[in-house]
Amino acid sequence: MTAATVSAARPTAQRAPSARLTFGGVLKSEWIKLWTLRSTVWTLSITVVVMVGIALMFGFFMNLATENLSAEEAAATSAILPSAAVVVSGYQMAQLVVGVLGVLIITGEYSTGMIRSTFSAVPRRLPAFFAKLIVLFSISFVVTLVGVALSYLVTIPFVPQAVDLADGDSIRVLVGAALYVATIAALSLGIGTLLRSTAGSIFTVMGLLLVVPNILAIVTAFSDNVVIEAIYKYLPSLAGQQLMAMGGIDPMTGAMATDGLSPWGGYGVLVAWTVAVLLAAAVVLKRRDA
Amino acid sequence: MIEARGLTKRYGPKTAVDGISFTVQPGQVTGFLGPNGAGKSTTMRMIMGLDRPTAGSVTVNGQPYAAHRSPLTEVGALLDAKAVHTGRSAYNHLLAMAATHNIPKTRVQEVIEMTGLQSVAKKRVGGFSLGMGQRLGIASALLGDPKTLILDEPVNGLDPEGVLWVRNLARYLASEGRTVFLSSHLMSEVALTADHIIVIGKGRIIANAPVKDIVDGGAQHTVRVRTPQATQLAELLTRDGATVTSDEPSLLQITGVEAPGIGELAAASGIVLHELTPVTSTLEEAYMLLTADSVEYQTESATQHVGHGVDAPADAPISEGAQR
Repeated sequence: MTAATVSAARPTAQRAPSARLTFGGVLKSEWIKLWTLRSTVWTLSITVVVMVGIALMFGFFMNLATENLSAEEAAATSAILPSAAVVVSGYQMAQLVVGVLGVLIITGEYSTGMIRSTFSAVPRRLPAFFAKLIVLFSISFVVTLVGVALSYLVTIPFVPQAVDLADGDSIRVLVGAALYVATIAALSLGIGTLLRSTAGSIFTVMGLLLVVPNILAIVTAFSDNVVIEAIYKYLPSLAGQQLMAMGGIDPMTGAMATDGLSPWGGYGVLVAWTVAVLLAAAVVLKRRDA
Repeated sequence: MIEARGLTKRYGPKTAVDGISFTVQPGQVTGFLGPNGAGKSTTMRMIMGLDRPTAGSVTVNGQPYAAHRSPLTEVGALLDAKAVHTGRSAYNHLLAMAATHNIPKTRVQEVIEMTGLQSVAKKRVGGFSLGMGQRLGIASALLGDPKTLILDEPVNGLDPEGVLWVRNLARYLASEGRTVFLSSHLMSEVALTADHIIVIGKGRIIANAPVKDIVDGGAQHTVRVRTPQATQLAELLTRDGATVTSDEPSLLQITGVEAPGIGELAAASGIVLHELTPVTSTLEEAYMLLTADSVEYQTESATQHVGHGVDAPADAPISEGAQR
């Protein structure tokens, strides 16, 4: 008889009297799950590093370019490319990293079989799904906001004038970047839930964020097709990025901002996409065999 | 207590579980026996609400699993040793599972000790052997101190000491009045652990009875006879109602007549016997007999059940199956 055999004699020494399934408990469980995987911890760290790195690089080269300009010329540059845009310039990369996180948080469970443990503990399933969504959205938002804050600090020496934190538009851009990235994470969670496969979901998210906008950008540049232009305008990434638009210039591409969509209107389009995908994902998740 | 009524699961044209009804009683270990692909795991997944039945229903302790307010304290399940994220440590996996039900950390520590995982608890599950994976699965099943335990092939990959441990654990949990439902494709394993056996084959229940009945009912007595006049003897025996099969020209396997009867018949007819050996089949063979027959048997039982009505005793098929 070994220790293991002997201890089997008392499998139920203490009965936990308060053991009860609660949404708070499910939230806590998803929180623990997020922080106990290396992949997620790495992804979140990379998000911050990428944001700060790109902002620093952007600021540095902008500083090189404007070094020898007169005060008026510098001010004019500032108007075209505001400091706030420099600070959040990393969000384009950050959205890709966080998109991967949003996918992994669910497809990682399907590929390893963990989903069966999750659904055994939360057999109604939707609480687990919404807990994932809440944890993912909050973490992505906070981490991106930390990235923005650090970017703000490190770019101060390089930008012509530091971002005016009392200016409503600047705050909208800074906080908007975090909101946008967190929403992309939520959209990716929905896509991952629908497709279940890690590779397929990451491919889809990348396609939606990178490939489709670029192809449509090229097409719209050479054609006046109204339908394609409308599709382009209402793409989740393009529409959502209006939240960071300032002075009529797309902060990353330097192209003129899409006509017609206001910052919050554009973000609303992204939210509509995200909610639609999440609803479809919730329905499928509830019905499908695990 | 687990109650299944007309439980059915179809995957496209393939029927994995075909309208089965059974009850798993508390206070005893019920073995769920069947060859691979018989529908054991599918049935257990349906009990846990992981797979949606195509038809029928199943309840645990009076309600569908998902309807319980505190599912982990009702049912603990080991459905798949690898239903764990490979990148997470055993301890953190249990911690996350426990958190859903606000189960304290002390209980997590307790189930780790119970299953002998102390030395590997902080290691990532990806590097676990099958046996350690099984122990972790059993640890998570015990986490909520559940009234009902569902264990799918719990001894798979365990060393002899681990097998003994699972056997003792299952018996102990049942002795506390819990419902223990464990599956296996090994008759010998179930016979040693269970009080009651449900045998499933090709998605249908073939037998549902106490272990002793299955063992006795399933044990066929055959007699092996070696004789140069095999054809002649076979004819005589068949005329007397015995079943004769033959693998070699001079070798007969006879059921339905005992060895003395065969000897007397041979002597009376002047047939020379070179060998006359009574062969009692092992449990394993009894089980093979039950499951191998399942398709042929089902068509018969379907017509029988029409005659008997719904109230046909659950254990009736065994003796009938065994007699054939």
